[in-house]
Amino acid sequence: MSDPAVLSAINHRAVDAYIAKLRRRQVVGSREAALETLRVLRQVVSKARFSNIEQLTGIIRGVGGRLVEAQPKEHSVGNTIRKILHHVRDEYNAASKATKAKESRSERTEYSLANFISQGQIRKDSVWPTLHQPLAEDEAPITLRENDSNDPDSFAKVMKPVVMDAIQDVLDELETVYDNIAKTAREHINPDEIILTIGHSKTVEAFLKAAAHYRSYTVIVAETGPSYSGHTMAKALSAAGISTFLVPDSSIYALMSRVTKVVLGAHAILATGGMFAITGSLLAATAARTHSTPVVVCAGQFKFTPLWNLYHEYGALDFADPSSVLGFEEGALVDKVEVLNPYYDYVAPDLVDVFVTNDGDHPPSSIYRLIKETYDDEDTTLEYKSK
Amino acid sequence: MAPPPSLPVQNPSGPHHDSSRPPLKAQKEMTKAERRELQERQRAAKAAGKTPGQPSASAQAPKKPNKNAEASPKIPSAAPKPKDAGRSMAAHEPAPSHQRGLRIFSHFGAQKRLSTIKGDIHPAILRLALQFSEFKITGANARCIATLNAFKTVIQDYVTPPNTTLSRHLMTHLSPQISHLVAARPMSVTMGNAIRQLKFDISKSSIDLPEQDAKNELCKSIDDYIRDRITAADGIIEESCCKKIKDGDVVLTYSRSSVVEKVLLAAHAEGRRFSVVVADSRPLLEGKRLLSVLSRAGIQCSYLLLPSVGSIITEVSTVIVGAHSIHGNGAVYSRAGTALVAMMAKQHSIPFIVCCETYKFSAGVQLDSFTKNELGPLGDTLTPYPLAKPREALLLANEAHLEILNPLYDLTPPTSITAVVTEVGIIPATSVSAIPLALYRLP
Repeated sequence: MSDPAVLSAINHRAVDAYIAKLRRRQVVGSREAALETLRVLRQVVSKARFSNIEQLTGIIRGVGGRLVEAQPKEHSVGNTIRKILHHVRDEYNAASKATKAKESRSERTEYSLANFISQGQIRKDSVWPTLHQPLAEDEAPITLRENDSNDPDSFAKVMKPVVMDAIQDVLDELETVYDNIAKTAREHINPDEIILTIGHSKTVEAFLKAAAHYRSYTVIVAETGPSYSGHTMAKALSAAGISTFLVPDSSIYALMSRVTKVVLGAHAILATGGMFAITGSLLAATAARTHSTPVVVCAGQFKFTPLWNLYHEYGALDFADPSSVLGFEEGALVDKVEVLNPYYDYVAPDLVDVFVTNDGDHPPSSIYRLIKETYDDEDTTLEYKSK
Repeated sequence: MAPPPSLPVQNPSGPHHDSSRPPLKAQKEMTKAERRELQERQRAAKAAGKTPGQPSASAQAPKKPNKNAEASPKIPSAAPKPKDAGRSMAAHEPAPSHQRGLRIFSHFGAQKRLSTIKGDIHPAILRLALQFSEFKITGANARCIATLNAFKTVIQDYVTPPNTTLSRHLMTHLSPQISHLVAARPMSVTMGNAIRQLKFDISKSSIDLPEQDAKNELCKSIDDYIRDRITAADGIIEESCCKKIKDGDVVLTYSRSSVVEKVLLAAHAEGRRFSVVVADSRPLLEGKRLLSVLSRAGIQCSYLLLPSVGSIITEVSTVIVGAHSIHGNGAVYSRAGTALVAMMAKQHSIPFIVCCETYKFSAGVQLDSFTKNELGPLGDTLTPYPLAKPREALLLANEAHLEILNPLYDLTPPTSITAVVTEVGIIPATSVSAIPLALYRLP
């Protein structure tokens, strides 16, 4: 039995419009998709009617489910939704705990290994109460009344600002993501290094430009066909006064023996510590590994995705327009030949040395823990399940 | 590619340094057609000025494809050369103070324009040199065969001056021809080996033979060399490599090699059912030509760019590539990108087979692709981009801190090579130095 109030919120006009945009690839890129998701969610929640936490999370999950279904390869959409859900539950738990606290102050989960295993998540609100001290203070005077038949909107009245705050928090994080990643650039790039990068990642661009304030170094940019986005990158970096070399993809191996660090961007970082990144990343990372050159990946934490991809499947990649590989000017060939243009590569965790994120540097092996902390387990698959 | 200004020796001393050269600014603003016209004029003037004996038209004649060229790449016949303009401009730019990283690339050497014609250059060589410098003849085998055929013409037109003998004087006549070819594009290992053999044959030729007979003898030995070391060798390689392709195989090949093309066509003709994945990359995008030949023959083909190789390597059962040359330690010097494919194949335990005639053997050991390399042409004139992007977006030549490098070769380490198919058998890469034929020890 599904809840009509929830369903009507899930089928909000803004969601439909965004789904169409995702499907038509009018919104591409992890950050753009995440930002747009938040805007849509804000519209939906502001109009929605709900009277308990199940309805509220149901709405958010339902919207997330529809968006993910529309474009499963744009992982940041789902990640953003999961993060909001996590925030909402956090605050709800804190608030309801405050309400309950008046009655009994006894229940506190002990921090033990047994609990960690059974719960799977160490940052349950009760474990480190200090973390939530400010929240608890804010929420303390609020009494949550769910399913109040006299005033059905009372729950929404309390929770809506909370959700809006959560959305604003995540938005702010996305706005400052480049700056925060670029902060540590100086520690990673030393004078006179030769950095190899591929494609055009805005994160990497910000990272390298930030390092250029302090260090004088050289960047080699591979063109990265078929999009040849390396050209844009090379232009941007050289305009910032960084000594830049643009090379074809074919010379990655030839030049690797002189490269001191490979800096890559990511599309999505998986719980394994592996990542999806622009085609060519696998080649560059493997060549780096062959030459024992460190691989640094710059990415915002909104790219952390609770997926494993243990048995890497062909279909996990996205396929793009073949005409950029073999255009119609080769008319005679186009008919007979199968042209492949995978958009992403899967780069295994053992090929990456460090993820430089907006919240510190992490090795691939600790990504799963960060993901456990950031998202709730129940949100790994997003859909609205009616009870 | 502009050499770093710290090495003025390598500055191109081409026609652009003429007094007739217009100001750089103006050249930048010219259209391609205008630039081409200007260059043609300058070149013609140069040719006429330096070699009054030669018809100046010969310098302009190279648009005619050499009928002897076994393979000349499919590129627009009138390739404009804004790269020259870009290069000379870059060379004159004031050096930004912190361009220290450049030095490591300086020894690659700039691709030089045919500037001066020193000495008495045969028209056939002039034509060939232009074909080389414009990448109309590429590939180790094609270049070697074209060179040898041109030398045959040179030898036939040669007249021994009085008071000397053919065996003593012919080489001094050939040397400027060779240096002219080298000025156009660095000599390939195959050409070097063939020329060494030719020198040996010339020195061997008896002084008692009448001149015409001696010349005929030399031409015959050139023909024999082409037949034995290239054509017949390819035939044997074709035969033995064919056996390595089985029904249902997916063969990956990178760029274009004339031998690999023959192998795949022969395997198809034998009735094997296999499909081919052609991987390709800039700067030359030579794979497209292979692709058109294979698909015309009815072989099921897939085409992708090099960066995508990582995603599809799991579907591949064998990798077969050609080589430019092979070194004493078994390292294969081949078209840039081959090493990447070899690396991926090794990681997935897929056999990586190199087809390489023994005359491509190069003595000595090269450790990485930096020791020796060649820079390809700049700009997108040779290989039209896919139309996905506006052309203007790709014109980058004039950014102050930006340099464009197009290394043409890379070195595949012997550890990632499963086998080398030669005309003397299928051998491990490291055993190449044990083949007497490669070392010219056979009578």
